[in-house]
Amino acid sequence: MARAAVRAIEYHLPSIVVSTESLAAQFPEWSIEKIDEKVGISERHYAAPDECSSDLAEAAVRKLFESGVCRPEDIDFLLLCTQTPDYFLPTTACLLQDRLGLPKKCGALDFNLSCSGYVYGLGLAQGLIESGQARNLLLVTAETYSKFLHPKDRSLRAIFGDAAAATLVSATDREDALLGPYVYGTDGSGGPNLMIPAGGMRVPRSAESAVDRQDESGNVRTKDHLFMNGPEVFNLALSVVPETVCELLGRSGKTMEEIDLFVLHQANRYMLQHLRKKMRIPDEKFYIAMSHCGNTISSTIPIALKHAAMEGKLKDGALVMLVGYGAGYSWGATLLRWTEF
Amino acid sequence: MSRDELILRLDELLELEPGTLMGAEKLEDLEKWDSLAMVGYMALIDEHFGIQLSPRQFINCTTVEDLLGLAKAPA
Repeated sequence: MARAAVRAIEYHLPSIVVSTESLAAQFPEWSIEKIDEKVGISERHYAAPDECSSDLAEAAVRKLFESGVCRPEDIDFLLLCTQTPDYFLPTTACLLQDRLGLPKKCGALDFNLSCSGYVYGLGLAQGLIESGQARNLLLVTAETYSKFLHPKDRSLRAIFGDAAAATLVSATDREDALLGPYVYGTDGSGGPNLMIPAGGMRVPRSAESAVDRQDESGNVRTKDHLFMNGPEVFNLALSVVPETVCELLGRSGKTMEEIDLFVLHQANRYMLQHLRKKMRIPDEKFYIAMSHCGNTISSTIPIALKHAAMEGKLKDGALVMLVGYGAGYSWGATLLRWTEF
Repeated sequence: MSRDELILRLDELLELEPGTLMGAEKLEDLEKWDSLAMVGYMALIDEHFGIQLSPRQFINCTTVEDLLGLAKAPA
């Protein structure tokens, strides 16, 4: 049986940069420097008004092609994780197949998950490859959440940024598993705590949905914009991340000590450091790389992996635990054996 | 962690001089008591008391003393 492996990762950030200084100028009553110090973010990148998820995705994939690791004609499946598609339909992955010059025999689909999307994408990719349905698969994560942030929602503007990441997952003749096992979890009762209330079929956009409302923390948003109940989402992370990590260790027969690096969804540094301390993970085994881009939803894990590899934190054979958690609620974790090809 | 230590940590969390808060202050009068401060307090209580607070427990809190009381109540 062919074994699936992560061969290469590239990512792309759009060109509009929102620095801490520019946020401080926009919200002078708010100590943004202190907030940035806590959340660990100094820059976020936003897509331009005419720039969509497919544009960011295309740029990330082109970096993979330019690196020489694969050619468009090698690709036989494209998985795109996005919650900000170009259109309701057609599927953004189908449009990308054409723009990237992928073969017409290539399978392509979008899937809609937020911060857990990369782990789920790896699970889907591994399933497609190890069941013989694909050999060279592109797993792309692309989001333009900035388009759903109200200009006066300072809390969310401090955290979120746009990005796309492209991961090549290929069949190898290795005998040992290089991905998995997986732990997945879902709790739809938490859906309202991280959502865009209007704009879908349930609540279409209207004059009523576009009315500004201010919350008790001074943030302004409408029902057309992203809403996050920060304390509830923090509560989710505290509830499910340590438990999921334990379950994955049990399922894989590994100990904490055998994990070389933990890469959790990069929600914000404050939350990550609290989770790290709670789980007693040594600082040197816990990777954070988000100061240059903020919380990029499903792209945070591949971006962090790319930086960890560039910094020499991932040696050939390193065992990495990936944990994603967020809107849905949805969460998942897996192990990745980092392999140099 | 004693009550005195906890209230000092609340001062720090709300960017106040140490010794500012006494307990009777109303949360609605504290400029820095917002969702991020609530997350910070949840983290503090989890770390030092091993109690995971639900955000719903804050609904009935009107004063600093009420917040301190959450450190005693089972989650």
